[in-house]
Amino acid sequence: MTKERSRTKLWRLLYTPRRNRWLTAGPAAVWLGLLLLAPLTYMVVVSFLTVSEETYQLVWSPTLAGYSSLFSADPIWTAPFVDALLISVFVAVVTTLLCLVTAFPVAYLLARREGLWVRVIFFLVLLPFFTMYLVRAYSWMLVFGKSGVLNTTLEALGLVDGPVGLFTFGLPAIIVGLTHAYFPYMLLSLYASLDGIDMDLVAVARDLGATRVAVVRDVLVPLTLPGMVSGGLFVFVPTLGAFVTPDILGAGKIQMIGNFIEGRILGAADLAAGSAAAMFIVVAIVLVFVVVIQVVDPEELGAV
Amino acid sequence: MIGFLWVPLLVMIMLSVSENPSTLIPFEGVTLDHMRAALADRSLLVATFRSVQIATVAAGIATVLGVPASIAIVRHQLPFEGTYRTGLILPMIVPGIVFGVGMLLFVRTVVPGLDTGVFAVILTHSVYGLPFVVLIVTARLYGFDETLEESARDLGAGPLSVFREITLPIIAPAVGAGFLFAWIRSFEDFIRAFFVRGTTDLLTTSMYSMIEYGAAPKMNAISTIILLVVAVALAIAMNVGAVTDLVAGTETE
Repeated sequence: MTKERSRTKLWRLLYTPRRNRWLTAGPAAVWLGLLLLAPLTYMVVVSFLTVSEETYQLVWSPTLAGYSSLFSADPIWTAPFVDALLISVFVAVVTTLLCLVTAFPVAYLLARREGLWVRVIFFLVLLPFFTMYLVRAYSWMLVFGKSGVLNTTLEALGLVDGPVGLFTFGLPAIIVGLTHAYFPYMLLSLYASLDGIDMDLVAVARDLGATRVAVVRDVLVPLTLPGMVSGGLFVFVPTLGAFVTPDILGAGKIQMIGNFIEGRILGAADLAAGSAAAMFIVVAIVLVFVVVIQVVDPEELGAV
Repeated sequence: MIGFLWVPLLVMIMLSVSENPSTLIPFEGVTLDHMRAALADRSLLVATFRSVQIATVAAGIATVLGVPASIAIVRHQLPFEGTYRTGLILPMIVPGIVFGVGMLLFVRTVVPGLDTGVFAVILTHSVYGLPFVVLIVTARLYGFDETLEESARDLGAGPLSVFREITLPIIAPAVGAGFLFAWIRSFEDFIRAFFVRGTTDLLTTSMYSMIEYGAAPKMNAISTIILLVVAVALAIAMNVGAVTDLVAGTETE
């Protein structure tokens, strides 16, 4: 008891709101500074250096060689990096739109209905969501490909003569794999947003003679815009930097930026060019955030 | 849509117990041989155990740092509060390949004595797990009645006993959920670990090698086993705790 009291006394003595603030906020801030901001800042620095071809050590004199190596091709759009960049942006945009269009109806149903089957659907959606990303990407590898389940089944049923090009590895397979991977993020984001709105608004609009399309366009979409945008970010950002899915489902034919960076860093040990390429992902993401903040109040995005 | 989510996984499950592990047609019968082979693979078990250890330590660090940080955000007046919050969410937003390469450069060439390996993976994952802890715990802190803490203080409790007797019991479920989320993120992460692991094999990197070198039967089996474990855990969690709210909560607030 006395021990407890003296400890309390000691705390009273040491305790000031200011100290308390630093004790609680400080450790995480230091951790982030040392292990996130410092490495990323260092990466920016490395992108302006070169790597010695003899010693594989960084040469400490500022240069744009890392960046110019990315674009050294004539004409410029034939450079592998430019190719990878364009494909990445294309894939990210298509995947985000696909997720939005397919997740919206499901989220709407889940938000409007209750009961056992809603819980069952949640279970069925969340299970893939909690399953290892690698496993989900791999499962599509079994489905696609020349000798994948899709093609062999179609052939065995006598529906097609040879493998169908659409179902071999390549861009469609990558987009399907990424949509599968990030669909739950969009769904949960839209669900959280739809769950919060007053569904009477929909009923009122319908009573007043609005068509279904008009209700979606004039009521649901404006009200769930923050959810759509934050869901879109949760899909777009990781898709842009995807590595595993294009690696497994692209069969070496398709390179996204992620694969390009990996090839530079681990394959060619060209740390400068790899870092420079990574800067494009960072800049693209910052640009997307700047655009998003123009459209939606950042407070409404919550986490983002 | 649910069908779309499930078709590839069902194909994988069927192939994992099929005599002919590469295609469904012609179907040649059911076998548990692939499962047995996967479970008998010693190096795979060692890698799995290593992944479990890394996830536990990393999620522990993320929780120990993330809970006070959440309290600071919700209860204290912080200078640069917006920046601090954004910083804590950042590890979740930065694409894995960027973070992985950044950490690789950092541990290789900047920090003396630190190189790639298990320790580097733990450090990387401890940062990666922070946002999940912070998002879940702050949501809980915003949701509870602050006057409980005030009354305890008025009655003479010091800051530590307020935390131990009032705050901690109330936020405990959120702390647990945050730890679990950080744990899962670490356990399933491939890309960050891939860059900083050095030559150490983890579960995900071993699985990646299996995919690259075409060990399909074993990969099907181990993937199916993981899916089953997740299914059981999720079914329990959904009945015990409000998992859906927590998950939906992570995405928006």
